Amino acid sequence: MEFTKEEIDTVYPKVAETIADALGCEVDDVKLNASLIEDLDAESIDFLDLVFRLERAFKIKIPRGKIVEEARGDLSEAEFEQKGIVTDAGLTRLRSFLSEVSPDKIKAPLKAAEIPRLFTPETFCKVVLRAQKAAPAAA
Amino acid sequence: MSGRYSAFTFCDRITSYVPARRASARFAIPAGLPAFASCLVAEATGQLAAWVSMAHIGFRGRPVAALAGETRYTHDVAPGDLLELDVDIEHCDDETVAYSGRATVAGRTVLELADCVGPMLPQDEYDSPDDLAREFDRLRGDGEMPGRFPGVPPHVIDTTEQVTGKIRRATLQVPTAAPFFTDHFPRRPVFPATLLLDAALSVARKFVHDDPALPVEARWRPQRVTNVKMRDFILPGQTVELTAEPLSPTAVGPRASVVARVGERTVATARAEFTAEA
Repeated sequence: MEFTKEEIDTVYPKVAETIADALGCEVDDVKLNASLIEDLDAESIDFLDLVFRLERAFKIKIPRGKIVEEARGDLSEAEFEQKGIVTDAGLTRLRSFLSEVSPDKIKAPLKAAEIPRLFTPETFCKVVLRAQKAAPAAA
Repeated sequence: MSGRYSAFTFCDRITSYVPARRASARFAIPAGLPAFASCLVAEATGQLAAWVSMAHIGFRGRPVAALAGETRYTHDVAPGDLLELDVDIEHCDDETVAYSGRATVAGRTVLELADCVGPMLPQDEYDSPDDLAREFDRLRGDGEMPGRFPGVPPHVIDTTEQVTGKIRRATLQVPTAAPFFTDHFPRRPVFPATLLLDAALSVARKFVHDDPALPVEARWRPQRVTNVKMRDFILPGQTVELTAEPLSPTAVGPRASVVARVGERTVATARAEFTAEA
């Protein structure tokens, strides 16, 4: 597990509030493991909005459009996906990277373009925690 | 008088420029216009940020209006005013531009933009990268002749529902042809987000004026617009439904949410705060 529940809990309230602001919904509607797209009707523009809001809220830098790239980890693009479909190695990597998502949602065939459908508030808690960890190195 | 770089371009000359960081420019509002909406001041500021961001990536991409965290309308402007524009680029690459900016007239701030973000789209689909690069050089050199902007046609808005204090709904008919499409954009005409916002604010303004719970003697004007989010393009000829509904008021006046829809699709949202005109 990349982060403990306690670590997630340290950032979750502010992440949930930021998501609610970005999506124009009530903070009570933001559940830790809800799909932002399927349960909260988020669109790609909302992810862009959310990333900038999280940067301001937590005073961090989040690499632009790199969440999916981070999900790939050490795998090359060809190892991660073939013709837009995530490979078996890619699925294994995703199950680890998106440990907050039920493994039965990360199954073949999965289009790479649909990876954001898996993102949850916890995904963004981890994005924040990673950025906070990276900050001292970047400074 | 309504050709390229005049129909909907709000920069006469770029007066200072630090690549990918900041820029200043001037735009003289033609004295012969009947009015110049504050939303066009926001457009002018955003266009300056667009020039800086496009130049930074060799005009391969162009930003489109998507998110505007906060716009403060501090003073109205008038035909004949000289707008001084400044933008600070927070982030700029092939994917997005993030910026803030302000406009002043004779040293007085008339508008401030903060937390604005635009995704970069492939330039080829919207405009000629080479033409834009040449125009950018011209703007950084001698500049364009002031006074070219011909104005925009008035919005065609019809109220369809009004429940005092609860909701106001109206339709905006986007023209099939208009001079501003020459600039916005030459290869793919799109209704400018700032004009949509102008129309939406006019609906919201009527909504708050009709609210019997508010002082009848006050003339409310938008002072701050937050959470602007453009979700989709609006095309020539489309009919847009604009809805204004109340939000909890601020200390200085009423607040409303505005939503723009084309069919079932929500294309834009924003929150508008009003203050009583002095």
